[in-house]
Amino acid sequence: MLNKLKQSGFKIFTLCFSLLLTLFILSVILCVVTHTTFGALITNIVSKEIQFAIRLSLITSIISTFLCIVVSVPASYALARYKFVGKSFINTILDIPLALPPLVAGVGLLLLFGTTSFGKTLASVGINFVFTPLGIIIAQFFVNISFMLRIMRSTFEGINPRYEYVAKTLGCNDAKAFWKITIPMAKGGLLAGSIITWSKAIGEFGAALMVAGATRMKTETLPISLYLNMSCGELNLAISAATILIIISIVSLFVFEKYGGIARLY
Amino acid sequence: MIEIENISKNLGEFFLRDISFNIRDGEYFMILGPTGAGKTILLETIAGIYRPDKGKILMDAKDITYIPPKDRNISMVYQDYMLFPHLNVEQNIAFGLKLKKTSKEIIKDKVEKNSKLLNIYHLLHRYPGTLSGGEKQRIAIARAMVIEPYALLLDEPLAALDTQTRDRLRQELKRIHSITKVIIVHVTHNFEEVFSLADSVAVMNEGRIIQVGRPDDIFRKPNCEFVANFVGVENLFKGKSIVENGSAHINIDGVNIFSTNRKSGEAFISIRPEEILISKQPFKSSARNSLKGKIARIVNSGATAKITVDAGVPFNVMITKQSLENMELKEGITAYITFKASAVHIF
Repeated sequence: MLNKLKQSGFKIFTLCFSLLLTLFILSVILCVVTHTTFGALITNIVSKEIQFAIRLSLITSIISTFLCIVVSVPASYALARYKFVGKSFINTILDIPLALPPLVAGVGLLLLFGTTSFGKTLASVGINFVFTPLGIIIAQFFVNISFMLRIMRSTFEGINPRYEYVAKTLGCNDAKAFWKITIPMAKGGLLAGSIITWSKAIGEFGAALMVAGATRMKTETLPISLYLNMSCGELNLAISAATILIIISIVSLFVFEKYGGIARLY
Repeated sequence: MIEIENISKNLGEFFLRDISFNIRDGEYFMILGPTGAGKTILLETIAGIYRPDKGKILMDAKDITYIPPKDRNISMVYQDYMLFPHLNVEQNIAFGLKLKKTSKEIIKDKVEKNSKLLNIYHLLHRYPGTLSGGEKQRIAIARAMVIEPYALLLDEPLAALDTQTRDRLRQELKRIHSITKVIIVHVTHNFEEVFSLADSVAVMNEGRIIQVGRPDDIFRKPNCEFVANFVGVENLFKGKSIVENGSAHINIDGVNIFSTNRKSGEAFISIRPEEILISKQPFKSSARNSLKGKIARIVNSGATAKITVDAGVPFNVMITKQSLENMELKEGITAYITFKASAVHIF
């Protein structure tokens, strides 16, 4: 009896922590979405500025996510499958953006594209990253690429290379085996990684702020809009930007939970 | 014919050293060895997954050492099936044919023929995730067979299956081989499979081929202690052999044994348990070895019984259960064991 009480006492104790934490998170979110009335929210969402921010956020995040996929798929495959000199060194370097504060990443990008001859050459042919939407894309890419790489690397590592061996004995070359077997088997990880990368790109603020600046109606993504409107007291506009960001986060979390598991099936 | 000449490959944890053997057309060739012997990388090297560091592989006298796997026409089946999970059974089997740009009718025809041969025709529209181990392995075999390979490589194809399924699939492998006459190279660590399937067998350990021969030869005449131990040879003794008057007598811890094999010096000998006669009285016969001992242990295993007779050194004798009962043999009584000099194998 005493034992049972002790056990359930511990259960209640640990359960309290999870319940309190849930309550805390819910109140934070509810405070944002209930701050204005539904009507005001709609009015602000259809305002020109928020419409611009939504469009810019969507375009930049989709392009940067696409770039992350294009770069991380071959890179992570090499890291998962092949042995080569300096592999652990490369792995460490590739993880750095994950640990780096986004502001620091932004400063680095600004210096690379703004001050070096490499950046100036690019700018002279019309590819200018500094204080342009292109800067937002490169900032999102830099901050998220390590994340995508890690997901894809563990996805590929989880696929037995013997599937590819069998495909090769049946008539595939390396690239065909990869395309016909490995990629379809990696689609769970690819989907989950892309969604989380995209959702992180939508919310990217620090690095983008440094490279692209916060110019109204020019480099104004949803988080930048939230920041700008908050600083100048336009609370309703800020809340509408925040609400959209919350919706995107929750939806992508849900999709991630639902499809991220596919990667573990194989 | 596949000729393997002095293949060496180092993959760190696993390696191959100076592997040489030939596989004749239509042969069921088995590679027997313990886990970690390098059997799988040997198969994968034959398939072309790895390039050997050294040596050559010839197929029909043509050097294929550096030809990529897709152009070798050698297919492979693994222990854990490796069925493509995103394709259904039909698409799995048709995979190789589709790559070879075969026409739809021919694909359909061949898939049907091979899936019927392996009794999986009813599964064609299922996905691999929902099938049993035996079914998956049949599909993997069908997928490998449908491209009509020059050789079929099987990597422990029966190891992951339960006893009943294993026996059935073993018989089917035999049947498929007798129908198609394709070269089969089958890797296993299970000696029973060798006896029921192989025309020839190579015993492998630590990246090397230790002995190649017919299963019977390997079993009766292992060329070293490792092979003898691995194939489960009983009555394996170490002793000193002296050749006199055309036959050898071997001293094993004071027990003298005659053999028709002529090898002198330090030697291992082995005697098959079923070639030893046991009697309660001295047994006069032409057999040159007759020893007196005491029954130390009787182990019943179904239809047969294994009796250990201590005659200075312990000999294992195999008799039927019937004989055991008729002779009223019991532990602790005196018994005589008799075997011919020709039954004593020296190596």
